[in-house]
Amino acid sequence: MSLRKLRDKYAIVGAGYTSQGRIPDRSALSFYVEACVNAIKDAGLRKEDIDGLICYRQFQPVANDVVVTPYLLAQHLGIQPKILSQESYCARGHFLHAISLIEAGFCNYVLIVYGDNALSGKRSFVKGATNSEPADDNAAFGEFGRAAQFAMAARRAMYEFRTGPETWKEIAVCQRKWANLNPIAMMYDKPMTYEGYFNADWVVEPFRLYDCCLISDGGRACIVTSTERARDLRNPVVTIMGIGEHNTSVDIHQSDFMAGPTGANMAGKMAFDMADITVKDIDACEIYDCFTYTVEITLQDYGFFGPGEGEDWFKDGRTAPGGIMPVNTSGGLLSESYFMGLTPIAEGVMQLMGRCGERQLGAKTGTKEPEIILCSDNGAVFQSHATLILRRS
Amino acid sequence: MAYEKPLPKPNADTRPFWEGCQENQLRFQKCRHCDHIRWPPSVICPKCHSSDTDWIVASDKGMIYSYVVYHIAFHPAFENDLPYVTAVVKLAEGPYILTNIVGSDPSKLKCDMPVVVVWDDSSQEFNLPKFKPLNE
Repeated sequence: MSLRKLRDKYAIVGAGYTSQGRIPDRSALSFYVEACVNAIKDAGLRKEDIDGLICYRQFQPVANDVVVTPYLLAQHLGIQPKILSQESYCARGHFLHAISLIEAGFCNYVLIVYGDNALSGKRSFVKGATNSEPADDNAAFGEFGRAAQFAMAARRAMYEFRTGPETWKEIAVCQRKWANLNPIAMMYDKPMTYEGYFNADWVVEPFRLYDCCLISDGGRACIVTSTERARDLRNPVVTIMGIGEHNTSVDIHQSDFMAGPTGANMAGKMAFDMADITVKDIDACEIYDCFTYTVEITLQDYGFFGPGEGEDWFKDGRTAPGGIMPVNTSGGLLSESYFMGLTPIAEGVMQLMGRCGERQLGAKTGTKEPEIILCSDNGAVFQSHATLILRRS
Repeated sequence: MAYEKPLPKPNADTRPFWEGCQENQLRFQKCRHCDHIRWPPSVICPKCHSSDTDWIVASDKGMIYSYVVYHIAFHPAFENDLPYVTAVVKLAEGPYILTNIVGSDPSKLKCDMPVVVVWDDSSQEFNLPKFKPLNE
């Protein structure tokens, strides 16, 4: 296969974190800058080394902020990269684009970043949303926002195969257990029980509050370079063993395959084929988890279990600390913090570098020492999907 | 009382649909080349890329493909409707459209339940196609 030549050829060499959670009186830009600077430091690079800068999409500014553009960010970082880009509407091609730019010879070090002041800036996503600017004619029917759109897909799935809150409670509770081991997680000191999950208010039925991800202030960044260059840098080498991308693109309101397969199916095949492995070789997963159901359908579409088998598969703490298939070991978007796909991907990198403290996979958490971690990123409502298989070199 | 919910904003592509609604008709484009009935409206058929198009009037019937129950008003004008249902209805002719299910207890709804259109003219500007279970 043609993509196999790219297997392990590129690496993620640094991760940039910021203070996160509820951090009042900070601009979105300030989190971008802090995440980028910390990623550059973490990789042991100079700012002049960065010749590609790729931003995740930015939402409309809140709290009197300016629009965060790649120009503005480069200016504040004091760099003039050869390549600048910013994705719109959540098409998740960042890492694939970074590899392509390096493979073609245009760039050597590509910095990928997202930041926001969504929590303090009171960005309207799920709860606390008291007003919503109508985006399209669906607003005439009271249809607003992502929670309802993912819930729509989840409801159809409940009709087509065995799933629902009994499955999702396991996902919410197991991820919370990971967050309880992670001091930077927003839910670090807040344990969750099954009762707590079921007692929470409905947001958009069939989703309750804890089916929905967090809204966070903060930022996250990663740097991609060649494995050859990575070997000369300071961190343990974590390679991209496989990468896959698929964009089903269809608006969920017009989809005739609401219950799947999602883009995870094709993107996963592409990544596993490039890596030349199967799901049996995966030691842990870091799955984009905007909602609990997103974790289930993504793992189902990757082939970890068949449609409707999720309820049994997630039982008995399989994905929790001590489990045989740890999933979302930082707490994820549900319980750590929301930085789009960079929350799961940075966690995969940190785990393979062995830098995760109390939540470190291996002896410390009664789990397998990880060599290969599967990461995912999802864009819009199952319209875009990226898969990364990371390996400790 | 003034109507405070958002209203459709017809554009060049969607205007014929909303004009149809004013006459209590669900109008969709049908490709003359491959017979595909499309939604949302477009200048070209996504199946075969033909621009040769008719507008047809759909029957008023369909089935609930999926639905959700809002328990939080994301817009203040919907506060009094809580809990309310938005749904994707699959029309007999094929298109999937976002709408409301009215006239039924949300807990009684099911996917693939047959529904029929009810026109909501309460805005006095646009007739909105909503649906109710066929047997109620």
